[in-house]
Amino acid sequence: MLAYIFRRLLGVIPVMLIVGIFVFSLLHLAPGDPAAIIAGDNATEANVARIRTSLGLDRPLLEQFASWGWSTLQGDLGISMYSMTPVTTMVQQRMGATFSLAVTTMLVAVTIAITLGVLAAWKAGSLLDRAVMGLSVASFSVPVFVVGYIMVYFVALQWRWLPVQGYMPLSEGFWNWLRHLILPSFALGLAYVALIARITRASMLDVLAEDYIRTASAKGVATVPMLLRHALKNAAVPIITVVGIGVALLISGVVITESVFNVPGVGRLVVDAISRRDYPVIQGVMIIFAGIYVLINLMIDISYCFLDPRIRYS
Amino acid sequence: MVPHGDLSVLDPIWTTQNMAAYHGAMMYDTLFGIDADFKPQPQMVGKTDISADRKTYTFELRPGLKWHDGTAVTARDCVASVRRWQAKDGAGQHLFERVADTPVVDEKTFRIVLKEPYGLLLDALAKTSTPLCVMMKAEIAATDPNTQITKHIGSGPFKFIEAEYRPGSRVVYERNPDYVPRSEPASGIAGGKRVLLDRVIWDIMPDAQTAASALMAGEVDYFEVPPIDILPTLSAAPGVKIEVFNKLGNIGQVRLNHLHPPFNNLAARKAAQLAINQEDIQRAAVGDPKYYQICGSNFTCGSAMGVEDGSEVLMLKAPMAERQAKARELLKQSGYDGKPIVLLHATNIHVMNQTMLVVAQNLRQVGFNVQLASSDWAGVVTRRANQNPPDQGGWNVFYTWSGGNAASSPISLFAHAAIGKKAWFGWPENPEIEKMRTEWAYASDAEARRSVARRINKTMMDYVHDVKTGQWVSPVAYRGDRLRGLLAVPEVVPWWNVERYA
Amino acid sequence: MQPTTASGRLVDFMRRHPTIVVGGLLLFTIALAAVFAPLIARDPLALEPINRLKAPSAEFWLGTDSLGRDIYARMVYGARISLLVGLTVAFFSVLAGAVIGLVAGYFRRIDAVVMRLMDGLMAIPSILLAIALVSLLGASVKVVIVAIVIPEIPRVTRLVRAVVLSVRDLPYVEAARSNGTRVGKLLRRHILPSTVAPLIVQATYICASAILTEAGLSFLGAGTPPEFPTWGNMIASSRLYLQIAPWTIFAPGICLALVVLAVNLLGDGLRDRLDPRISRRM
Repeated sequence: MLAYIFRRLLGVIPVMLIVGIFVFSLLHLAPGDPAAIIAGDNATEANVARIRTSLGLDRPLLEQFASWGWSTLQGDLGISMYSMTPVTTMVQQRMGATFSLAVTTMLVAVTIAITLGVLAAWKAGSLLDRAVMGLSVASFSVPVFVVGYIMVYFVALQWRWLPVQGYMPLSEGFWNWLRHLILPSFALGLAYVALIARITRASMLDVLAEDYIRTASAKGVATVPMLLRHALKNAAVPIITVVGIGVALLISGVVITESVFNVPGVGRLVVDAISRRDYPVIQGVMIIFAGIYVLINLMIDISYCFLDPRIRYS
Repeated sequence: MVPHGDLSVLDPIWTTQNMAAYHGAMMYDTLFGIDADFKPQPQMVGKTDISADRKTYTFELRPGLKWHDGTAVTARDCVASVRRWQAKDGAGQHLFERVADTPVVDEKTFRIVLKEPYGLLLDALAKTSTPLCVMMKAEIAATDPNTQITKHIGSGPFKFIEAEYRPGSRVVYERNPDYVPRSEPASGIAGGKRVLLDRVIWDIMPDAQTAASALMAGEVDYFEVPPIDILPTLSAAPGVKIEVFNKLGNIGQVRLNHLHPPFNNLAARKAAQLAINQEDIQRAAVGDPKYYQICGSNFTCGSAMGVEDGSEVLMLKAPMAERQAKARELLKQSGYDGKPIVLLHATNIHVMNQTMLVVAQNLRQVGFNVQLASSDWAGVVTRRANQNPPDQGGWNVFYTWSGGNAASSPISLFAHAAIGKKAWFGWPENPEIEKMRTEWAYASDAEARRSVARRINKTMMDYVHDVKTGQWVSPVAYRGDRLRGLLAVPEVVPWWNVERYA
Repeated sequence: MQPTTASGRLVDFMRRHPTIVVGGLLLFTIALAAVFAPLIARDPLALEPINRLKAPSAEFWLGTDSLGRDIYARMVYGARISLLVGLTVAFFSVLAGAVIGLVAGYFRRIDAVVMRLMDGLMAIPSILLAIALVSLLGASVKVVIVAIVIPEIPRVTRLVRAVVLSVRDLPYVEAARSNGTRVGKLLRRHILPSTVAPLIVQATYICASAILTEAGLSFLGAGTPPEFPTWGNMIASSRLYLQIAPWTIFAPGICLALVVLAVNLLGDGLRDRLDPRISRRM
């Protein structure tokens, strides 16, 4: 088992290298001139050229990649071309917000979805089953920002239960932190409910059909504890897989939600950076996100070893 | 407050972005400042002495001026700052071509010595259009104008709290308790800058709908540029007040590429000039007629130079059908071959997006074969600099706007220059216009300048320097039930004189 | 008892798989509208700013947008591009993913390299990749399609590869191999068919997700150019008007939701039908 873990860890290296190459070439090979944008509307051609040189944008591509790659490995992701702040500082300042949003969204989505999924599997084939599945698919069909706006209109503006936008770090109080996250996490979480509920239902159905469940039920074991203890535990593997996929999708979803609810997170940081062609920030954030994704998948793969000894990848 | 954009660059000289100018006005101070009547008034300067031959200006700083780190402001700091500023500013460059020397006389006094009299010296130092002539410490001002400053020490009424600065999200200023305001009442960016607020926070929100909701819920107090379509909803909300602080507003301009066909041909340009419908554009981009006007001036209707001579060629009062018929005729005369013309279309800025869609239709209706190259604004900025033919990465038409105040001076706005390939994008070339621009700068007084402006406007109209799309104002929405004392200053949002009263 | 007549079998099929029927019918109607757009609506690009933001009326069935364009016309024409985006994204991502997955699954030596590449690609957040591509290459329907296809390829590849891996050592494939069948024919005849069912199901989900992603990209300013209507960019460009002119958002919004729902239902139905385990239980 240790050998497996070790091999998985090693496998991370080529993946990150590929991500680095991909991200770098994407930005530097495509048309776009950050120097012109930084210089502003009234700058002359000479000014733009000077700014280009000062940013090192006129060096050969391979040289730029090598120097960027080397400093990244040492933890130095460069400096934003605009605000002259180190990329790592910018990400650090904003990671708390994105992380909070991601975690609360995942909690909302997973809790609702697993409940729905178990319910639907238990009453498979009934009207309840179809209704639950239909509703979850419907929630997935409306774009996140529309859901967000509608929620804000009713909950925040009309009924004034929750704030319209913004984010407060935990340091400002637990309830303050939580109330700013409720609307965004629900708006985003609903989109994932369908995905997770569907898989939960499918794997629960698989498990419920197993003989030992039918035996337990015949012996008179109460339904709910049985569902929870036996069925859910064995259905855990595919559910965790889906949660892992969900994390990747979550990073994408967070970007939109941060814009709608004005959460100053990393998603907004990178969207702004893209519109300004702030290469160091874009590259740095993509690498960080890729790293997080790879890490989470690694942890999930390793958790398989503990959850289901039958699974081994060659 | 929710500003119109993000403060990403903290050096108000290095970039011409408006947000940097706002930042400059908060934490820095200027030698002179224009007042509500657009006349330059002394700000940091106490005594001004102009020699009889009008070639030597002696400035003595008023007492009590200190940097935020406690040290006193000296004349050496001011000279260094002015020199750094003029390297990047149009009006400043125009001025310094005529400057012989800027000697420092003593701790508090310095001179500007000219080669010949230049009436606009004080106006240049006092202007509010970006970049402002702000004063920095000599060692910071020594930074090359093409590199950003890294230390931020000003002498203005607010202190910039760098520790709380979050690029893209939040900017925080605190009252500078050591600031000594002048005794006159505040007017424009002149007069006494008395700060009545402890903290001013800029909250940068990318989404207008969110910002509007936040204002209505009371989570922010000031929304700088609400989309005009939201105004009815905002004004209906309790406590929200709508007010126009920048009465000169903005002027839209469609820039035609003079270097390549078809717009290197005068008849084709005239066709475009007639085809482009200011009323349609304004209604699409701005919406409410209360906030826009059709304008036949290159220099901002309603400003000192807002003359409309020569605007008969625009046929503004004629029905569109008539204008379009004439335009089609002109287009035929120009020998247009039907090749597609490339319009650079910025989709992420509402006014630009709407305007270009209307312009595309306007041009199509008179026979141009229009191709929209849609991208975000950054893409447009990149492509517009390309002087190649449109099918090799260049362009034929692009759109942007200028602040009404900035556009009102024939020499200050780079877009007014007609020096061919060295001019602003579009590269118009007309030596007559250039001669008159210099004439304008040397005119003896406002009346004389106005008559020169008349001639410049007519020439620009006949030559079709570019095509204006109308003038509009951007009202501000703020919590009138909490704030009062807001000043009306073009192109800067000052927070002194403002107090919370509820 | 199985019905014997063709129509009887059809009715029975419809009764047992309502999701396929509902989804398919809905899609078919919308596709029809898209194809016959010029016959049932006026020019979607014609703008008349004086008519902007008018409520639904006899002249403008679904009202006008902020430029005075007919929303009903834009909705109908929008179906074209939205469906086009959904279908082409589904098609190309399945095509590319299938090819790569087949090759990777069958040839052990290439497998490791290809899967690392796919892992790398999957690690990059798809929306950021899409925004970057559109911002850098300029907004056009082609670029948006490519931007949405690229992040979808790794998932399809994984799916196909998993099927290939499970099938390649089965007896009948072994037999064909030892018979000397050429690799190409082997892949096409014996392995590919097993992948078809899950691929079709996956394609429907990708189609639905692509239409939604396009809306999200339009919201962030990196979607299809706003001149030509897609439901996504109609919603995104009208988001200011939620309170003032709600019809500008609701019309395309409901259409979008309906199509995505329809495609999802279709996918669910197909999966139930094609996956023997589940249909047995149903």
